Amino acid sequence: MKKRLLGLLMSVAMVATMLIGCGGGSKSAESNGELNVFVWTEYVSDAAIQAFEKETGIKVNVSTFSSNEDMLAKFKSESEGTYDILLPSDYAVEYLVAQDKLIELDKEKLPNIANINSAYLNPSYDPDNRYSVPYEGGVACIAVNKSKVDKEITSYDDLFDASLAGKVVVLDDYRAIIGMTARSMGYSMNETDDAKLAEIQDKLLTFKDNVKLYDSDSPKSALISGDCTVGMVWSAEVALSMDENPDIDIVYPSEGAYVFLDNWVIPKGAKNVDNAYAFIDFMMSAEGAKMNIEDFPYLCPNDAALELMGEDYVNNVAKNVPAEVISGGEFVKYLDSAVLAKYDEMWTKLKQ
Amino acid sequence: MKKKKSKHEFRANTLPALLTVGPVTLLMVLLIAIPLIYVAVMSFCSLDEFYNVTYDFTFDNYIRLVNVDYLKIYAQSLIIALVTTVICIIVGYPFSYIIARTKSKKKQLLYMLVIIPFWTNSLIRVYGWRNFLGTSGWLNGILMNLHIVSEPVDFLFKRGTTILGMVYCLIPFMVLPLYTAIEKLDTSLLEASSDLGAKPVSTFIEVILPLTSSGIFSGSIMIFIPCLGYFFISDILGGGNSDVIGNLIERQFQSGNNWPLGAALSIILIVITLILVKIYQKMGGDMESLGV
Repeated sequence: MKKRLLGLLMSVAMVATMLIGCGGGSKSAESNGELNVFVWTEYVSDAAIQAFEKETGIKVNVSTFSSNEDMLAKFKSESEGTYDILLPSDYAVEYLVAQDKLIELDKEKLPNIANINSAYLNPSYDPDNRYSVPYEGGVACIAVNKSKVDKEITSYDDLFDASLAGKVVVLDDYRAIIGMTARSMGYSMNETDDAKLAEIQDKLLTFKDNVKLYDSDSPKSALISGDCTVGMVWSAEVALSMDENPDIDIVYPSEGAYVFLDNWVIPKGAKNVDNAYAFIDFMMSAEGAKMNIEDFPYLCPNDAALELMGEDYVNNVAKNVPAEVISGGEFVKYLDSAVLAKYDEMWTKLKQ
Repeated sequence: MKKKKSKHEFRANTLPALLTVGPVTLLMVLLIAIPLIYVAVMSFCSLDEFYNVTYDFTFDNYIRLVNVDYLKIYAQSLIIALVTTVICIIVGYPFSYIIARTKSKKKQLLYMLVIIPFWTNSLIRVYGWRNFLGTSGWLNGILMNLHIVSEPVDFLFKRGTTILGMVYCLIPFMVLPLYTAIEKLDTSLLEASSDLGAKPVSTFIEVILPLTSSGIFSGSIMIFIPCLGYFFISDILGGGNSDVIGNLIERQFQSGNNWPLGAALSIILIVITLILVKIYQKMGGDMESLGV
């Protein structure tokens, strides 16, 4: 009898908790709905997301990815409507547009686009920003430890100098390194011509002896510790290593750098389109963008946010990448899978 | 009547078999057979212009792999695995012998010295080596303070550091089977050997080594195979300069975005593994000591 009573009590408790759970759920759905965003890890500030939730009453569910390829693979395999917002890089926007996966953005609903510096608008991968608006970005630039390197380094081409044998840390990223080699020869990062690719390969293989470390996750550690005295890494990594080791200097290559910009887009089939517009517009507001660059000091295309950040930030050329670096740089493009196979072969040759 | 009998048979024979073996078979099919078949099918697939996998049958992925550049990486991978295994035997054998032959309480302690690091996440331990060996790391600090060297020595990001990391991570797999084999060794055989006039060296070569060879075999196979796939060690300690087959696979599934090619590479790794296990069986190794 006692057991039965206990069982009864427990089932009552279970049903009660279930009902409470439901109540909570329907209440938040009633208020202002939800928003499912799919963004890079370590890139969008929690503080900014919480501020948005507080301001609008919309519940934001965040999922994260660590590479464009990872994001595209998940986006393709999930059912339509799983995500309301994506944050792809330049070439991934191009790829999504080519497959007709994005909705055209209604700029009337994004008044804060006025905060974006015009140098970052109308990009080659999405003319007139029909499908995307920029979030943050960066540059694959050069870091030099002045106390240990005598040679003056001003360009990607200087990285091939024989005096740098066994000193360089580079991104473990084949498009970045092959692209950098191409730019050092005056070619595009997106060459498809076989003759040019053969030339690029010859030069690339001379780079082998200079590379000590391939590291995309945290190349700043090898720069800070002094294990590597020269680097070809993302600008934000250089900025952070400069904070720790004052001997490190940043160089923007004279040939024009490998540049990336990450962008807000809304995929077709999104269930909460209005909330998505509200979120993107909030992230482009001065306060929203400021919270993001405070946590993640990448290149910020938002002029209004930079005004709030103060002079120290604006004058730091590593954190606040000069606009001419971006306009003089080049984006990676999506290449045909047959061409990419050639890039992959070159990379395999370099790394054997 | 007939129906009733078959019902009885079902209860007596089929049902218990289903209940006991069924879940295991189901798990094996779900978690091992289906994924393997999927990988095998994928390795014959093509890519469309948007890098989506299409189910058009092709041998291209395998043709791409028969290429000097890939063969060099396979060879490098096999060399790294071989050197690692040999070092593990040379270091692991005396160590296991000492543990197995220690009688006192120290035995537990020695055993724990192998096991406890093994319980710690290997990524953390590998990053620890990176800090220890770096130009501003502890080892260089000690060497410089003792005036043995005047400039920091460049230890990191070489093939040797990759091998060091592999040995460090995998040596428990050599010590444990060796320990079991040596423990089982009957000491009266050693006494008999010395009674019959054998010197310690010939006792070791003629008696101990043959009787513990099963431990060496199973340890070797358990080290050699993971060595081919431990891409994170060659990334973190080798600095990406000494790729193993695992790095090739990882790259195709991530940045290369070419899953069929990655699948073909995985199939090659599986084939190499099967060949090694076959050799192991031919040499008299038994599958049970591999934990199969």
